[in-house]
Amino acid sequence: MLKLCLDKLKVAVVGFGKMGILHAGILNVLPKVKLVAVCEKSGLIRRFLKNLFRDVLMVDDVGELSDLGLDAVYVTTPISCHFAVVKSVYDLGVASNIFVEKPLASNYGEAEELYDLARRLGGVNMVGYMRRFSVTFRKAKELLNQRVIGEPVSFSAYAYSSDFFGIDKNSKVRTPKIGVLKDLGCHAIDLALWFFGDLKVKNAKIDSLFGEGSEDSASFEVETEGGVCGKFDVSWCVDGYRMPEVGFTVEGSKGVMRVNDDALELTLKGGEKFRWFRHDLRDGVGFWLGAPEYYHEDECFVEAVLRGGSVEACFEAAAKVDRLISEVLVKAGRVE
Amino acid sequence: MSSQGKLLLVGDNPFHGISHLSQEHSRVRGDTPTNPEYAARLIGLSVENGADGFMFSVSGTTLSILDILRKNGDSDGLRLYAIVPYAYEYVRLAGALGGIPGLAKKLVREIVFSWNLRAVASGLNGVVRSDLASLFKTYLLYEVSRVRRSAGGKAELESVLLHQLITDLCLGLGLDWVFKFYTEFLLKIRITPGFNTGNFALLVKKLGEWDINLEDVVIAAPFNKVGFQVVPSKEECEKALAGLPKPNVLAISILAAGYLKPEEAVDYIASLPNIKGVAVGVSKERHAIETFKLLKDKLS
Repeated sequence: MLKLCLDKLKVAVVGFGKMGILHAGILNVLPKVKLVAVCEKSGLIRRFLKNLFRDVLMVDDVGELSDLGLDAVYVTTPISCHFAVVKSVYDLGVASNIFVEKPLASNYGEAEELYDLARRLGGVNMVGYMRRFSVTFRKAKELLNQRVIGEPVSFSAYAYSSDFFGIDKNSKVRTPKIGVLKDLGCHAIDLALWFFGDLKVKNAKIDSLFGEGSEDSASFEVETEGGVCGKFDVSWCVDGYRMPEVGFTVEGSKGVMRVNDDALELTLKGGEKFRWFRHDLRDGVGFWLGAPEYYHEDECFVEAVLRGGSVEACFEAAAKVDRLISEVLVKAGRVE
Repeated sequence: MSSQGKLLLVGDNPFHGISHLSQEHSRVRGDTPTNPEYAARLIGLSVENGADGFMFSVSGTTLSILDILRKNGDSDGLRLYAIVPYAYEYVRLAGALGGIPGLAKKLVREIVFSWNLRAVASGLNGVVRSDLASLFKTYLLYEVSRVRRSAGGKAELESVLLHQLITDLCLGLGLDWVFKFYTEFLLKIRITPGFNTGNFALLVKKLGEWDINLEDVVIAAPFNKVGFQVVPSKEECEKALAGLPKPNVLAISILAAGYLKPEEAVDYIASLPNIKGVAVGVSKERHAIETFKLLKDKLS
């Protein structure tokens, strides 16, 4: 039986994989939150979870969450299920506040529909583009807004990991069907949209390294509405990226900015140089799990639910990422 | 112990190509420390200059290092602090093997072929009864047997620590039974239970609330002068440290991932109460010699 928790937000997590577990762990320590239910399709995982948790309800269908009076739902299922699950949460009135792990949906059409639903039904909606909460990227955004490097002229972005580096192409290993753009590249795209506004794809190329049709590396060029040109390079087969890493080099009229997950460097045309590591940027959290960004992200979502208001990245912003990915796929000849 | 009761351990981060300052730092450093032969040489040099042992995540790389140390006769008397599971390797494997089912199949195969009958029996029991404790026990027995096989009988496996990601996940989810079970089981097999955490103050508070005797465990947690990754704050963690019944904390990240100069980093650690020891990674021969000479000198 669920215990009453009048003074706390009642939250459920749908999909108890890696990201579901991580968010549940963080939510459970936030003082204003109570994890009350988990929805997981796998019977085996549910059976183990029932032995693991005492006060958390385990269900196998989103519909079973509808009578719980939930304040918010975290959707951390595989990406291909995001659309159906989020739609059910809205349609069945499970909760009006929804957090979805990135990307919002598996294609732009679905993302647009979810954004429309969110706009009509209200509530706080957020997508887990957690790098917006990274101290280095936040500082970069602040400096770009202040025009410290002047007007942006061009930028290049990368998103790399070594997840599939060094694996024999003839082995049985298959890279995830979702592709590197939606798995990793979406972070770089989201940050670029956050930094520079809307982007248009000029050309794109996608390579398959593990089997026909797989999307293992992508490079594409974009242009902002103001005419700033940008280049992206995305791959999960690059050596030296034990942890996934996203980075930007931005050329401005007054200098150059380099930023990634770990550090931010400025080189101004007058010769001045500045460098900040995470250490220098007050990267403190109340609870450390995975990375500080996850804590900040969940804290931000919860505060928005409690106090009302909007958060970044909302469904609208996240749908723009899906739109750009869709454009890249079309330009690369891989029509969605 | 080499220096006034302070245990000096070589950390394994550089051997996995990890730099918490920046990945770029690790890439620029090159991959030399990830070569097991070279890593074993660095550990040997560290021991010659004051290190007592090795703290490591149990992985293919670190087991190879232990193999080399044993074959070279350098593991005699080496004090081992093993961290399990090496979460990064398992997450990566799960990705490459088609998710958790693929990873589970691989682990089952390895456990069965390890011929550790106690582990196999406990694992079967766990699967039949959906009993997580039995599966956990199976896994721990398997990891302990892997370490002992590689390190040989002359090294001393003093503690097995639960990896930071798992400790903090269980801490966040309030899974007190995991901490109780883990502590009781390791004490039963005469290994000091340990917890590697990024949330030291909260862990100490919760272990107290859950009636787990803090004198029975060791805790590895970040402590450094600039408060890097010291959560929720340096002050809170220092307060929790001062309240411990005995020195049972292994300070990690003492150099704040290379952000601090060794001298100032060590001075801060020397000023703290209840520090049992420190673990510091080294990536070059000169680092190994200078770092452990300094640690021996300053912490003695």
